[in-house]
Amino acid sequence: MSSEASVTHVDPTEARSAAVMLSVQGVGKRFGGLAALSDVSFTVHEGELVGLVGPNGAGKSTLFNIIAGVFAPSEGRILLEGRDITGLPSHKLARLGLARTFQLVTLFPDLSVLDNALQALHRHQQGRFFAGLFQARAYREESEGWRERAREALALLSLEALADQPAAALPLGQAKLLAVAIALATQPRVLLLDEPAAGLSHEESGRMMDLIAERVKGRCSVVLVEHNMRIVRRYCDRAVVLQFGRKIFEGAPADMVHERAVVDAYLGTGDGG
Amino acid sequence: MGLTLFLQALAIGVVNGALYILTALGLTLIYGILHIVNFAHGELYMLGAMLVYLLFVAMEWPLWAAVPVIVALSVLAGFAVERTIFRRLRGQWLQLLVATVGVSLIIQSVSWIAFGAQEKTVPSVLEGVLLLGSVRVPIERLAAASIAMVLVAILYLIVYRTRTGLAMRAIEEDEETARMPRVDTDRVAGIAVALGFALAALGGVFVAPIYSINPGMGLEAILMSFIIIIVGGLGSITGTVVAGLLIGIIQAVGALTLGAEAAHVLVFVAMIAMLVFRPQGLMGRVR
Amino acid sequence: MTQPSSRALGPALILVLLVLPFVATNYWLHVAIVVLMNITYTVALCAVLRMGYLSLGHAGFIALGAYTSVVLSVRFGVSPWFGIVAAAAMSGAVAWGLGALTLRLRGIYFSLAVFAFGEIVVAIARAFDWLGGPSGIANVPRPSFFGIKLDTHFAFYWLAMVVAVAVVAFFARLEQTRFGATLLTLKTESSERLAESVGVDAAAHKTACFAMSCAAVGAMGAVHSMYLLFVNPQVFSFLMSTDLVIYAMIGGTTGFWGPVLGAGVLTALGEQLFSAGYWKTLVYALILMAVILVVPGGLTAVSGLWKRELAPRSGR
Repeated sequence: MSSEASVTHVDPTEARSAAVMLSVQGVGKRFGGLAALSDVSFTVHEGELVGLVGPNGAGKSTLFNIIAGVFAPSEGRILLEGRDITGLPSHKLARLGLARTFQLVTLFPDLSVLDNALQALHRHQQGRFFAGLFQARAYREESEGWRERAREALALLSLEALADQPAAALPLGQAKLLAVAIALATQPRVLLLDEPAAGLSHEESGRMMDLIAERVKGRCSVVLVEHNMRIVRRYCDRAVVLQFGRKIFEGAPADMVHERAVVDAYLGTGDGG
Repeated sequence: MGLTLFLQALAIGVVNGALYILTALGLTLIYGILHIVNFAHGELYMLGAMLVYLLFVAMEWPLWAAVPVIVALSVLAGFAVERTIFRRLRGQWLQLLVATVGVSLIIQSVSWIAFGAQEKTVPSVLEGVLLLGSVRVPIERLAAASIAMVLVAILYLIVYRTRTGLAMRAIEEDEETARMPRVDTDRVAGIAVALGFALAALGGVFVAPIYSINPGMGLEAILMSFIIIIVGGLGSITGTVVAGLLIGIIQAVGALTLGAEAAHVLVFVAMIAMLVFRPQGLMGRVR
Repeated sequence: MTQPSSRALGPALILVLLVLPFVATNYWLHVAIVVLMNITYTVALCAVLRMGYLSLGHAGFIALGAYTSVVLSVRFGVSPWFGIVAAAAMSGAVAWGLGALTLRLRGIYFSLAVFAFGEIVVAIARAFDWLGGPSGIANVPRPSFFGIKLDTHFAFYWLAMVVAVAVVAFFARLEQTRFGATLLTLKTESSERLAESVGVDAAAHKTACFAMSCAAVGAMGAVHSMYLLFVNPQVFSFLMSTDLVIYAMIGGTTGFWGPVLGAGVLTALGEQLFSAGYWKTLVYALILMAVILVVPGGLTAVSGLWKRELAPRSGR
């Protein structure tokens, strides 16, 4: 890591009394005869950063996709702030306060960085389907207001200087930050990050995670799918470990390494942090 | 509808379906391996029939010479098109689709100019009707359908029992396999297109004595092929076979009860229903 | 798209449109009317292309509009003006239905379904005597404007022009709206996924766009039928659908001038140069192939004056 900035961890006992943002209950998923997930349950409390970990094939991506609304679980439910969101399509989830990033960094390539953030503010610009069709001047003025908010969204992750650059031209590190900024612009209650540090250098990933811990945690709860154990130990308040589609551990990351089952899972498949 | 009439429709439907299958298979093969919907497919079918007229009737070649020549020509055309057009536009689905439409228009307009609008007929090779109980099946159609099914079986063998077929399936299965150095994607692509073109042309060859031939007959063929491969599942050979028979039957039954045009609508509705309830088709995999 | 040089062209174009009928002969008025109709169809088609989908059956929706209007006015004595509105409503509604069913899926399903639809519409028209069968319906009435029947080329030109300008202006304006900006983000599969993750109901947007496009061509289809004074299944064939695709691809699908110039120039040339339909098809198809293989953005992209066409990614 570049600097040893202290990362505030949420005290687990404190967390349990905070509001439950996301509740995964008994989620299972079968593909044909194969059970990718079995009876996975965990909760995410307000202000927490929860890491979803496990060796390759453990079912992290499947679980992530189920929470993100890509497909429905075979059994179980997902609750967002107490509301059942199981099986809802992704655009509805975004409106209910659940945002996500994609494993392969996804941006709007034809647009500028600012316009990318602007698109994400869509959720707040409901109705007025034909905004701009007739009252051109009023729409232009209103657009200015939205552009300001888009700039703020970029500034949150220190990207405002890149506002007018084409998104397609960004290097990976900044592109990934922009992806997070886009997700954040929807003002979610829960943010799902799919391996945000993947493909980044040690320094870059450190910088990104520092920014996320600093700027994001205060605004929403975060669920992080991550391979990198170092990141999980350093930044996550809690970790949920999966193996073969089942949860084998849930608790403080520091305790994770002492847990026999977790060690076996990782050593057994030759995977490591 | 009386039982006899229904059985008649069934028989005709199965036979017609078998003939559709040949052309549709070529289309699904090309789609399955290259993810290209070859709009020019109908025109190859038309050329197959038209060339039978040209070689067999106009130039009086014997059938055993004409058919292989037609197959050879279509194979060559397949390699050529894959090499020049498909390969160049690889990955750009919109450009590819429009390009195949362009090829289809070129073939069609050249055919109108070269062959004229006058309908051509190829005399029946096999006369006679087979009587199964009270059901009448023209022998020519039955023979054509049977040969078509033999060809389908041969295609099965090629795709499932040969190295090339294995390569084809590997590429279809997983696009990453396609990028591995041991799989010669270009060669397999060429073979797939050549094979697809040949199947289309053969589809036309077999119907030459049955239907009247004109440069516009490809449109109907491509429409039925699309419907069949959507119902069966894009890229699935088994699906195409099953769907081909099914669509043939639906169309025959529809035509006998409601009329030919209504049968078209019925078949179209079947396609839409499949898209709504099971977009991957009968045998397709969920992507 | 609204760069300084082309900003001046807009008013100039309007001027030309207004002056034209007073100086043109009947033959050129005929060409102008056909050009205006094709521009309308092509601009509407481009709206669908811009969101990443290819309609190979737009002629079917033109036919739907034309037949709706004709049946209403010829069989039921309804005013042609209402016929135009009904045509737009009918095409728009059917497009909405078809779009709702097929736009959730990948682009190729849509293209095939719309192609099939185009063929089915024509097949239905051929099948029923009530719709005129293969010979169609003749004696289509033309509308009257404040008592003046739009019988002459001069008079009809104004109708065609007003409808064309309305449609083109609508779609040009649409691009500047939030709806239009959102549509552009739906062009590729990954981009669409991102849009949905920030709350965009992609299917609804696409369906709405497709419905609007078809309503527009339906309305113009009604006008088309009034110009021809008849309808029959042959007019709205697959070749009409491909003509529109050719105009769009050769002219360029992005920006305002692409479809306008593509349709305008190719239609005018077509009227002038080709006596027989299949020669025109052959030449245009060859140009199309050349454009696709050499200049994928269409001819307006070459000049560099207008936004470059980005090739859609695979797998759509």
